Amino acid sequence: MKNKKTVKIVLVVLLLAALLIFPVLDKNTYHQLAMAQTLVNIIVVLGLNFITGLTGQMNLGTAGIMALGAYSGQLMVQKLGMPTILTIPVAIIMGVLIGYALGWPSLRLKGVYLSLTTIGFGEIVRLVITNWADFTGGTTGIQNIPPLNLFGLVLDKTWKLAVFLVVVCAVLVFTAYRIVGSKYGRVFKGIRDNIEAVEACGINVSSLKIKAFTSAAIFGCIGGCFYSFLMAYLNPTQFTQDLSANYLLMMMFGGIGSVPGCVIGATAVTLLPEVLRFTQEYYWLIFGIITLLFVIFLPYGFISLFQKEKREEAGIFKILIDRKGKRRGTGLSKSGGMK
Amino acid sequence: MSFSMIMQLILSGIALGFIYSMVSIEYTLIFNSTGLLNFSHDKLIMLGAYIFAGQFALRMGCGYVISTIATILSMFIIGVLMAKGIFNPMRNMASPIFAVIGTVVMGRIIKELCRIIWGATAFNIPGFMKGTFRIGNVMITRANTYIIIVAVLLVIALQLYFNHSRSGKAMRCVQQNKTAATLMGINVSQNINITIGISAVVCSIIGILVISLFSVSLTMTNMIGIKGFAAGVIGGFGYFPGCIVGGVLIGILENLSTLAIPSVYKDCVAFVLMIVFLLVRPNGILGHKK
Amino acid sequence: MSEERKSVLRLEHITKKFQGLTAVDDVSFDMKERSIYALIGPNGAGKTTTVNMITGVFPPTSGGVYYRDQKVNGKRTFEIARLGIGRTFQNLKLFNSMSVMENLMVGGHEMTKIGLVNFCFNFRGARREEKMLKERAEEVMEYLGIADLAGRNVKNLSYGRQKIVELGRAMMMKPKLLLLDEPAAGLIPSERKEFVDIVLRMFEEGVDIFLIEHNMDVVMNVSTYITVLNFGSKIAEGTPQEIQNNPEVIKAYLGDKYQQITAEGRRG
Repeated sequence: MKNKKTVKIVLVVLLLAALLIFPVLDKNTYHQLAMAQTLVNIIVVLGLNFITGLTGQMNLGTAGIMALGAYSGQLMVQKLGMPTILTIPVAIIMGVLIGYALGWPSLRLKGVYLSLTTIGFGEIVRLVITNWADFTGGTTGIQNIPPLNLFGLVLDKTWKLAVFLVVVCAVLVFTAYRIVGSKYGRVFKGIRDNIEAVEACGINVSSLKIKAFTSAAIFGCIGGCFYSFLMAYLNPTQFTQDLSANYLLMMMFGGIGSVPGCVIGATAVTLLPEVLRFTQEYYWLIFGIITLLFVIFLPYGFISLFQKEKREEAGIFKILIDRKGKRRGTGLSKSGGMK
Repeated sequence: MSFSMIMQLILSGIALGFIYSMVSIEYTLIFNSTGLLNFSHDKLIMLGAYIFAGQFALRMGCGYVISTIATILSMFIIGVLMAKGIFNPMRNMASPIFAVIGTVVMGRIIKELCRIIWGATAFNIPGFMKGTFRIGNVMITRANTYIIIVAVLLVIALQLYFNHSRSGKAMRCVQQNKTAATLMGINVSQNINITIGISAVVCSIIGILVISLFSVSLTMTNMIGIKGFAAGVIGGFGYFPGCIVGGVLIGILENLSTLAIPSVYKDCVAFVLMIVFLLVRPNGILGHKK
Repeated sequence: MSEERKSVLRLEHITKKFQGLTAVDDVSFDMKERSIYALIGPNGAGKTTTVNMITGVFPPTSGGVYYRDQKVNGKRTFEIARLGIGRTFQNLKLFNSMSVMENLMVGGHEMTKIGLVNFCFNFRGARREEKMLKERAEEVMEYLGIADLAGRNVKNLSYGRQKIVELGRAMMMKPKLLLLDEPAAGLIPSERKEFVDIVLRMFEEGVDIFLIEHNMDVVMNVSTYITVLNFGSKIAEGTPQEIQNNPEVIKAYLGDKYQQITAEGRRG
């Protein structure tokens, strides 16, 4: 047991070291960009995991959260001349505000209604950013975003930003990992499984739901903030419904509710289209088909291949098991006899 | 502000509103029978428009009537295939999140197929449903007239089908209680296949009607897709009369809002209304409880 | 019933109306300390509605609910639970994606104090709390005799085991009062005996028990005092012997005809 843990720690440290060295050694800007983009996506997906993966509250407004996180900081830099380093605390404050704003409806609404509210939120954010041209720059957005300045250390090259992102991402992954494995992770899952039982345990569900939304929004806003530095420009067409759906897809692709799953999913869904580029104009279609197959046959994600219980619960394995069962079973299956 | 101008806004609002109503009817069909929201419905509408305009009307040069029939048939088949491949396996999954992702991914695949088959550039059918009628001082476009007529006919047809035909009644059984329907000898899966087929047909009709409003492009239906959701919420979710009331109301308010606020914020009206209704009156105007 | 015992749970003239339908009509009772108090009645008598009012799922239309002379109606479910009222549900409400250990640990969540922000930085405190929760869960599992199931996923357990896990979850917070909603329903006799033994043991250790039950065997053997509801009203209260011989109760349960047969004193 102890040995296994040591091995794990060593592996993680090695991985981190490799990730830190990679952008320094590989001078290909495209690779560096892809890596930085992956890291940003990991941050956002980890946030989404709190609310949708663990607590089970559907959130389709991730793009809106990211957009607010990115715009709030950059607008303050542009309009007030705020130092770039302060965009990160601004993003965190924004995250808290969004968490309360989005969490409050979740106390009254569930299921489909909540997902529609979050869609509405995302769309309103996008429409306001698009149309409030005097303030946000409208469709042209914010151009020429200055590089992030860490107390004199200017991250003016992509590789520098990528290295910094590795550090930030590692801290956030570690925090998310701890939260998911802690009493909070359990209670979040409890809310998903059986909300009345959680209340009967004397737990204030409302406050916890808001906590889950707030954590999600903080991660999303931090992701958005780094995204703005990565792209060096912002415009509302980046933050569409499609982006929100993409984050859900990343979460599912790796494995809902699991931190390693989210990391794997974000990496896979960000890099897979890039890898598939050799198929030229079909690459996006092929990517779509691959993900659809994943959703249908491996709904608990890549990580479920390593989890015995989940494996048997759904997806391709269940189909295989069902087949076997049917062959053995006699007579009355579901509706079979009554057609 | 002249009276005729307000009338003008209201009339075109009603026409657009009926489009929203039809969108919400189309997804309500699926929602009622499977409990899932079809997040690819806007892509299905777009596919209908592409099949009609791109394939039959322009590429093959068929007449509008033949194109319409051919589009409806092909969309029905596509709908049934989607039901078999996606909705039926997904409706029994542990969490609705898988179905959400599944339908979103499906929408992407449809969009990519459209791009590959018919190209990414927007196009239009020259002269299709163009022209205007004049009633007193108020002008009404031919397209808007067709939209209102078709929408009303469609609603009547669906009502007749659900209330008077055998298979329609079976569908209502499935909507209310799947287990009981199974015990009564109704094949639930097949029933859902057909419901989704009908939903796809409604999508194709919407697609054909909106060609004249927006040109055929990959982003033509982004807005009406989400506004259709808003229409359902405002009228009363999962309930046909609610869809119609909600859709028409959004259409009219949206157009009238341009009198009060900058017209660029017109699109926000539907979403703000939707969120207000969700928080204050989640059962919608008609207060239908499911 | 000696008078000096303090009141644990007191209902004063509570009434609940659902849009014209009166589910519970002017029910009052007083549960004293150190008792196993049973609430019985045929289906539709208003038992579940009463429990929902006690636990704050919805407020009574009129009347008051008092826990140790403190008014609790108007309080929210979790606030009432925090006063030391644990409960189990009629139809199991477990966290199906978690193991037995995790289910119990959720039950003990309120014993911990570290907030979410603090948690992110206070590593040692977090670890200490986690250990504390785990130890408490192990203690409870040991007490219930399910220590060997700690790592098993609850949804793969038998119904009887699941009921015990649910009871364990309610015990995590060391409640002073346990509300058991139909604990014996769906259990086979041996499991039922095991459950009753646990409940009796807990009672002896100082926990008051409020029982809603259908199974007369359990009620008559276990409870010290009984209230009978029918059609939303209280029709009788008393010790098991008194209830067994009460003609109103027999009528409510079996109808007029059987009054004489059962009056002979058949148990159950």
